[in-house]
Amino acid sequence: MKIYDWLNQRVDLDSITKFAKKKQVPVFYGTVWYYLGGVSLFLFIIQVFTGILLILYYQPGSTTAFESVKFIVSQVNFGWLVREIHSWSANLFILFIFLHMFTVYFAKAYRKPREVTWYTGFILLLVAMFFGFSGYLLPWNELAFFATKVGSDIAGAIPFVGDFLLKLLRSGDDVTGATLTRFYGIHVAVLPAVFTIILGIHLILVQVQGMSVPPSQESLPPEKRKYMPFFPNFALRDLLVWLIVLNVIALLAVFFPWEIGQKADPLLPAPAGIRPEWYFMFMFQTLKLIPAHIWFIEGELFGIMMFTLGGLIWFFVPFFDKKAGLGIKSPFWKWVGVIIILYIIGMTIWGYAV
Amino acid sequence: MKRLILLLCITGTPVTWNFAAPTDDINGCISCHQKNDEDRDDDEKIMTHFYEDVHYLKGLTCSDCHGGNPEEFDDEDVAMWDVENFVGAVEKKEQPEFCGKCHSNPEFMRLYSAHLKTDQVSQYWTSHHGEKLKEGDTQVAACTDCHGVHGIYPVKDPRSKVYPTNVPTTCKHCHSNEEVMANSGLPTDQFDKYTVSVHGQALLERYDIAAPACNGCHGNHGAMPPTIFSISDICGTCHANNAELFKGSHLKRVFIEQKINQCEGCHNYHDIAKPTDESLNWAVNKTCIYCHEEDEEKAKILATALFNIIDSLKQKIEIANEMVDLAENKGMEVEDLFFHLEDAHKNLIQTRTSIHSFDDKYVRKTSEDGYKAAEAAIIGAEQALHEFGFRKKGLLVFSLILTFFGIVLYLKIKSME
Repeated sequence: MKIYDWLNQRVDLDSITKFAKKKQVPVFYGTVWYYLGGVSLFLFIIQVFTGILLILYYQPGSTTAFESVKFIVSQVNFGWLVREIHSWSANLFILFIFLHMFTVYFAKAYRKPREVTWYTGFILLLVAMFFGFSGYLLPWNELAFFATKVGSDIAGAIPFVGDFLLKLLRSGDDVTGATLTRFYGIHVAVLPAVFTIILGIHLILVQVQGMSVPPSQESLPPEKRKYMPFFPNFALRDLLVWLIVLNVIALLAVFFPWEIGQKADPLLPAPAGIRPEWYFMFMFQTLKLIPAHIWFIEGELFGIMMFTLGGLIWFFVPFFDKKAGLGIKSPFWKWVGVIIILYIIGMTIWGYAV
Repeated sequence: MKRLILLLCITGTPVTWNFAAPTDDINGCISCHQKNDEDRDDDEKIMTHFYEDVHYLKGLTCSDCHGGNPEEFDDEDVAMWDVENFVGAVEKKEQPEFCGKCHSNPEFMRLYSAHLKTDQVSQYWTSHHGEKLKEGDTQVAACTDCHGVHGIYPVKDPRSKVYPTNVPTTCKHCHSNEEVMANSGLPTDQFDKYTVSVHGQALLERYDIAAPACNGCHGNHGAMPPTIFSISDICGTCHANNAELFKGSHLKRVFIEQKINQCEGCHNYHDIAKPTDESLNWAVNKTCIYCHEEDEEKAKILATALFNIIDSLKQKIEIANEMVDLAENKGMEVEDLFFHLEDAHKNLIQTRTSIHSFDDKYVRKTSEDGYKAAEAAIIGAEQALHEFGFRKKGLLVFSLILTFFGIVLYLKIKSME
């Protein structure tokens, strides 16, 4: 307690504990969805810790990256465990962000006054996907090399800025050791900094504005609404879910390890079965299905434009869905969300099936 | 002259003949023979592949081989019969010297390629074909029988009749024809045997042009059947280690004394099958008892010893393969172990080769490295499996700790509410 008192006199810990105790979490059928954001945060923390451990041994560079990853998994004590946890939690991290985003969407939590929270959340998803894209190349194996080549080619097809983006990503015209070094820098320095700042804003907004409830709950009379204190009740439940997630990751790491594959050789032809990470698969499959030309527009460019437009509409949905802000039902946007989920799931399954 | 020297100095190019394909295709010969072809059956047409012929593409035309006056379009006599150097259709017995006018001339052939050989004709006269032709037998093969007539392609062109994958069919044309071969005393089943042989399957089914066709063993222009003394050298061109080991073995002398063709004695010829380890298995053996008596103790002991060495090495490698597969399927990093397996497999091939020494001590010594490599793979796989077991135990302990904390947390939450 002496330490607490010492700190309290200097950083006013009482106000924080007072805030945590005062903070209420709504209790209703959808309370379980509140854990998804917390799990995403937990997975990000795991990523940071395991990532730091990997940095200690990983050596970027076309002649060292693959070898250093092999060294980590075969020679470093528990190196395999750290890499497996990093890889698995990276995938679960993006999965949980997706789940969190869709539950927030269907609960209309983006409505006034939480538009900025939605915007920052969507940006966090994009940054997380870029985390995945940049991290995928780092083992410098065959699949990652060609997937990065295809992925950056797609970025290069964007009109006006495509060429600039391609060179910015690849650090030249082709995917080389320079690309690997650049991706490494982006993955371990740029993205964590950007993510942490936006995550900070996102969390502050959640704390300041409190948990959102769906309009159906909001319309209930105050006496019918139920709450539980955030601290310690909800925080302990959060912790329990985190323990379960950690257990699942450990299980996956031991029984479903990620292959290192073959070292990338830029001189060899692309092997069969080149595919991006699962969270890019719906876009990849769509681009594969689009014909070479639609009217006068190149098929790939048309696809990119459609995804860009779709992403912008999704981003600005608080602006378009005015009814939700006024407490009026907006079934149109609910069905848009359902169709998008079905589309993503359908295209992803199709992408893996062919 | 000064200008010419200056030009040579500037370009560095010596004055040479012009070998570019002729731009003016039509001459008197072509003009008439194209018309004649219209009334001929397909197999008698002479102009069908003329424009693809290597000679034509190198700038030669009809009169360069046949003489005559290509500038004459109307009068047959002026174009051909009245011209002193006109040769016309070449009789088979004249063919070698006819083609040899250029092909035996090193100075001339060097103008087309520095690597073209010029000993084809002299080799040909030493061949069975050449000897028979000299005797007046015009059924034997001469130049055009193998290379074609007016549609001759370079040897490296897959359309060529003497491209490796086409050689067996080209030779078959005569050698499988009972009528043609009637007086030769040779069998006509070589092609059928070759197609089922290990060489034939490699060449004709897998298009592996490293596998020998007929000319691989018999030679090209100087084609002759190998003799007892030369056969191990011929097979040894490719199977060098086998040949060397056999030459150093005690069986070489026996084979020569018994007049058994060396490699052929065990492996046959034309229908050479892919050798199996079972050939050494005395119980089912059909190879050794061709010469040895079935109850001949010494040979039986040696064959059984060789068979056992190879068989036990194979079993060891199989165990190593299974162990490494098992570790890999459990997701363990075992890539380094594949190097050991590869070494073991290479050694198995060396051990199989070493049996041509017919010395069990030498074979056993050769196989030792294979055992060591397979053993290293097994030890590595065992370590990987042990590591996997450790991970599973670690996971169990970790899960139990987490579950314990989870239960404590759950109880705490319940007690609060």
